[in-house]
Amino acid sequence: MIDLLLPALIIFLLLNLAAGMVRVARGPTAADRMLSALLFGSTTVAILLILAEWMGEAALRNVALLFVMLAAIVSLAFFGMPRDDADDGDEP
Amino acid sequence: MNLAVDMLIGAGLLVLAWQTISGRSLFRGIVLFVVFGLTMALAWARMGAPDLALAEAAIGAGVTGALMLVAFRRLVRIRPDQCAQPALRRSRLAVPVAVLAGGLVGVIGLAVVAVERDPALAGLAVTEALTDSGLGNPITGVLLLYRNLDTLLEVAVLLAAFLAARTVFGEDESRPPTPARREVPLVGALLAIIVPLTILIATHLLLAGSREPGGAFQAGAVLAASGVLLVLAGRLQPATALSAGPAFGLTLGLMLFSLVGLAVMAFGDPLLALPGLWAVYLIETAMMLSIAMTLVLLFAGASGLRRSGP
Repeated sequence: MIDLLLPALIIFLLLNLAAGMVRVARGPTAADRMLSALLFGSTTVAILLILAEWMGEAALRNVALLFVMLAAIVSLAFFGMPRDDADDGDEP
Repeated sequence: MNLAVDMLIGAGLLVLAWQTISGRSLFRGIVLFVVFGLTMALAWARMGAPDLALAEAAIGAGVTGALMLVAFRRLVRIRPDQCAQPALRRSRLAVPVAVLAGGLVGVIGLAVVAVERDPALAGLAVTEALTDSGLGNPITGVLLLYRNLDTLLEVAVLLAAFLAARTVFGEDESRPPTPARREVPLVGALLAIIVPLTILIATHLLLAGSREPGGAFQAGAVLAASGVLLVLAGRLQPATALSAGPAFGLTLGLMLFSLVGLAVMAFGDPLLALPGLWAVYLIETAMMLSIAMTLVLLFAGASGLRRSGP
């Protein structure tokens, strides 16, 4: 039972990713694309955790941990980059 | 079920790769590339290569995406007109190159499929030999015990890459990131949580590397990610001069590895033969620091780093 349930969950989550791709592809604003990419990170973490359980690879939990921690970097590169007051107009 | 999962990941990778390069806007391509990295990590995980998944997660999620976003911001600043253009310009060579590359991949793939598989004698021998050395993770074992010269040269290549980057680009006066004048409150809190955690996880990966997937390269990339965060937040500023600390960090891995590798010759062992598990940990730690320092300096595009602010 559990052997069927876990891959089914993974497929469901992968299909979720595919659905989310619409937001990345269409936009319309840069923030929309970025946010959905960040949410993809969360979904990937979920998939990795299920994979770890399903394949019996405990090390995949470390990969998931890295994704959780490092998601901050992309968002910081997107929003939080300090700018001086002169170039406020370069929001991507 | 297995097949369905693999097919979905594979098809997703192909679509993402195509969308990344054929995108209408540059920014869309960057975001898609980040997503591609996530999916690639899934593919490595599915293929049972957690070491590669770790590296992909650390480099792909940590450094590459941020690097591209920073480059994009800079492009917006210096060439606003280029950002609006489509990322891809069609070239007449594109189709022939694609067909040839596809043919090459196909031929290699067919050749690999056709090759008769020997029982993996070398692999079995390595696994047996490694149990004596106390290294439970075959990848770390092979990297440090059998391919030690390759590993040493990889560290040297990183140093060479840094030197080459500095030689080619020189010092750029107009270079961002600009100093943090307005401190965003959330960023400080985020850094206070993430940076210590990153150091903890890097140490964990380094120590785990002798038994399970992990090791100096993955740990170094994770540590580099925390440095990249500090650079992004303006806590570390690019400096024009290479001060003692970064210089030490850059060369530490190469120096320590060579020193230990040479020192064992005095005791009659061959060059680069590692005398024990302590040497593995010592060299891995030094390599982790060097890799992290090189990546952060390459990211900052600077010869050195200095702390900013009060």
